[in-house]
Amino acid sequence: MAALLELSGVSVRFAGLQALSGVNLSARGGEVRAVIGPNGAGKTTLFNAISGYVPIEQGSIALGGKPIHGLTPHQIAARGVRRTFQNGGLFPELTALENVLAGLHSRIDAGFAGILFGTRAARAAEREAVQRARALLELLGVSHLADRVVKEMSGGQQRTIEIVRAVAAEPPLLLLDEPAVGLAPPVRTQLVGLIRRLAGEMGIAVLLIEHAMELVMAAADAIAVLNGGAKIAEGPPAAIRNDPAVLEAYLGHA
Amino acid sequence: MRFYLLPLAACAIPLAANPYTQFVVNLMLVYILVAVGFNLVLGNLGQLAFANTALFGIGAYAAAMLMAHAGWPFWAAIVPAGLAGAAAGFLASVTALRGIRVYYLAIVTLAFGELLRWTYIHGEAATGGTDGLAVPKADFFGIALDSETARFYAFLLIVTVMVKAVSNLLRSKIGRAIVAIRDNELASASLAIPTGRYIVAAFVLSGFVVGVAGSLFAVLIGRVIPESFGLIELILHFAMVLVGGLGSLTGSILGAVALTALPEYFRRFPGLYEMFFGGLLIVFLLAQPRGLAALAARWWPALRERYYREN
Repeated sequence: MAALLELSGVSVRFAGLQALSGVNLSARGGEVRAVIGPNGAGKTTLFNAISGYVPIEQGSIALGGKPIHGLTPHQIAARGVRRTFQNGGLFPELTALENVLAGLHSRIDAGFAGILFGTRAARAAEREAVQRARALLELLGVSHLADRVVKEMSGGQQRTIEIVRAVAAEPPLLLLDEPAVGLAPPVRTQLVGLIRRLAGEMGIAVLLIEHAMELVMAAADAIAVLNGGAKIAEGPPAAIRNDPAVLEAYLGHA
Repeated sequence: MRFYLLPLAACAIPLAANPYTQFVVNLMLVYILVAVGFNLVLGNLGQLAFANTALFGIGAYAAAMLMAHAGWPFWAAIVPAGLAGAAAGFLASVTALRGIRVYYLAIVTLAFGELLRWTYIHGEAATGGTDGLAVPKADFFGIALDSETARFYAFLLIVTVMVKAVSNLLRSKIGRAIVAIRDNELASASLAIPTGRYIVAAFVLSGFVVGVAGSLFAVLIGRVIPESFGLIELILHFAMVLVGGLGSLTGSILGAVALTALPEYFRRFPGLYEMFFGGLLIVFLLAQPRGLAALAARWWPALRERYYREN
């Protein structure tokens, strides 16, 4: 099967700093691929490049065989790429349900005039989206949070709602940027279960940036290692664990 | 349907009102549109744009000039007044889109309003200069709006239709997208929300609503003069939105009603007027920063709104 996401030779440069150089990476539906590396390795820049938040200097990024580099973030999102943010990207003043509804924005089939005049069709489209959002919150085990305002939730609850929102429109590709930051160990275990379900049951291609190695080892089918903006290793978790180049990147010269 | 209960009940107001109180009520209707329109940008979109008196003035002058110079009836001038406001709103949105935000946007839009006022003063041939422009008798689909009562029913109809339309917008994916952009613009884009388009839409809609309010104001006062659209007026608009509740439609209505009624009431105390009014404003905003809408929703939970939190 051809890869859903295909990065070839992607380079990103910020005012003299080579943030990414010649990175090749791919992602497949139903597979969790982790991206690890020391701080400053370019992991988040990689996500920003894929989702259109930073321009690439060289190389190409293709989704389903079609180039997406050069598009704006909302255009890339509209083609089926969804992401979460390292520092949390929820709308704090909205409830969990309203956040998930925002994730369904492009799926709500109601035009401006219909909304303005409150036509039956426009109201039905909104009602349908509400049902769908509630069903999704239920499916992913957080229906009890549906009507709570995000800013009053714990960090773990917020992380979960952000993932639910990201997958609401059934994107083929999901980018998770450090979803386990600040989570207690039992919540991390739940998160591994959630990520495995997204890939296994919904067939989503998941790219996962994470520092918590036990989570990466449990959740990922394959791991790519970045260091200094370049990919230095890639393979199944067991192989990466013992790869000398990876050990050196993390531990430095012996 | 619940929405229409209030305007229906309001139909009885002329039975109890003398011409002066009826005028004040009519002014409240004008300011309801002013606050509803301003709140779209200030509260829902969260942009510190101060072009509101500019939008209000453009709507008023557009209607007055169409009626006085081109002989259009009032009803035909309402939509053009809204479109003139919408065009000005579009200009303001372009500055916001180009990354001119917060204090810079505030100053640019303030300057825009003052520039327009300068234009009214110096465009004598069209605007009548500092003396302003007399607004001819208003015709609302064949009915002469020659009394406060007649104006009341025409205004009530227009305001009800427009507030209902804004309410529909706010309760839809459009209103949600606008609030989402306020809360986190980058994240909104990551959900396939075309953020630029919605920022423009919020400004244009706001301009349309406030422009229409300007046309009603012109007809109610009977004369448009540059002085009506200065900084004091802007502070009044700003206070209505803040006292009512940022981002709340109910709040816009409550704030407009309260801040139209209070100054009129305090007029009985010449000399102390500004002091009373200013003091009350300070105390209220310190005690209830979320506005009247928060108080109202606490007393009557049916008034709770989507995307507006009482605390």
